[in-house]
Amino acid sequence: MVDNRRISSTRWWNKRKFWFFILFLSTIIFVRFSKGSIYKDFYYIVSKPFWPGQFQQEIIQESQYKELNMKLIQLSKDNKRLRDILKLQSISDKSKISASVISRQTGTWWKQLILNKGKKDGVEIGDAVVGPGGLVGIIENTSFLTSSVKLLTSTDSKVGVWNQRSNVHGLLVGLGTNLPRLVFYSKDLDVKEGDFVFSSPASTLLPPNIPIGIIETIDAESQSTLIAVVQLLAEPEAIDWVQVLKIQY
Amino acid sequence: MNRITNTYLSLLTFLFIPILTLWNPKFISLMGVPPHWSIFWLFSWASIHGSFNGILAGLSIGIVLDSLSNHLYTQIPGFVICGIIFGKLSIYNSKNLNTFKFGFICSLGSLICNLLYFLQIIFHKFFEVNISWVAYGIKTISAQVFMTAIIAPLVCSWLFNIFNKNNSQNFSSFKGDSF
Repeated sequence: MVDNRRISSTRWWNKRKFWFFILFLSTIIFVRFSKGSIYKDFYYIVSKPFWPGQFQQEIIQESQYKELNMKLIQLSKDNKRLRDILKLQSISDKSKISASVISRQTGTWWKQLILNKGKKDGVEIGDAVVGPGGLVGIIENTSFLTSSVKLLTSTDSKVGVWNQRSNVHGLLVGLGTNLPRLVFYSKDLDVKEGDFVFSSPASTLLPPNIPIGIIETIDAESQSTLIAVVQLLAEPEAIDWVQVLKIQY
Repeated sequence: MNRITNTYLSLLTFLFIPILTLWNPKFISLMGVPPHWSIFWLFSWASIHGSFNGILAGLSIGIVLDSLSNHLYTQIPGFVICGIIFGKLSIYNSKNLNTFKFGFICSLGSLICNLLYFLQIIFHKFFEVNISWVAYGIKTISAQVFMTAIIAPLVCSWLFNIFNKNNSQNFSSFKGDSF
């Protein structure tokens, strides 16, 4: 019995070291065939707390914004210089008046806002009013302390606009609904759904190139003119603060 | 002081109509459409003081509200017609008007005013209107008529109390008009 036990303990498959070696070897082989994926995944988990993280991402984004902002300032300067040469309208930061909306008539037949800035603050009839997104309307009446804005959706509203992609000019007409109509005085024009609409550079009423809306649908039934329905970018129902832009000639 | 307050309280409530119209509280609106605030005052006033007073009141409200809106269209015809119709109710004792009738009559007045305004826009924009615009108009009118009917019993009861009190103290010379 004793001899048998000794013999069995000296057999190579009964040695623990051997099986450890086998396990180690198979692990190495697995790592080799998986091209180190376990190592990489392990490194992912271990190194996660030390990643560059949000902070560094914000720094990069901020520097990108700065770069874009600088380009924008440079382009604005160029644009202003060229407009001055051509003697076209322009707006500057000094000619912007911030105002809050103190009364809102958007649900009924009336389509107007009343602002808390009036003649006292230099607001004049005909000034353009922009909100977050784009043009909201035009000042139609002022009192000493307040001014009322005729919205683009108002039935009285008519403003010159253009489709910047195809350089086509048209007239944006309010109908009292939330979707004004854009009338182009020709039928065969390069106008597509999704095109952006801006205030016309040729307009004498508005500062140029203020975003207004997106062409939602095109009326295919109209005969002589091309008519489109425009979704406005600035929604007067939700605007509390606006800016009054004074045109400089 | 109390006498002066009572005498002029009805006129003070008139001054609140444009304020309330401009305020346009969101929490008392349906799909962004508020009730027809001016109808409440006109109904209460005209049904106590008669048709002639109703016409004058309707004209006054119309002029004030038109001055606020600066639009091409006017609200005066609607309010004047409502003033006449509401004034005809003065031959009945106002105590016979229950809250259901307040809502019904005010919503009728709101419908008349809205329809007349709607027709003016249609007349002016005849070649530009389409089916979606008409649908928008119907939505606006329905919402305002509904809101007016809902709020009318509350506001009109209060206004009737004020005007009746004033009327008993300061009897109008137009009370017995034969309009």
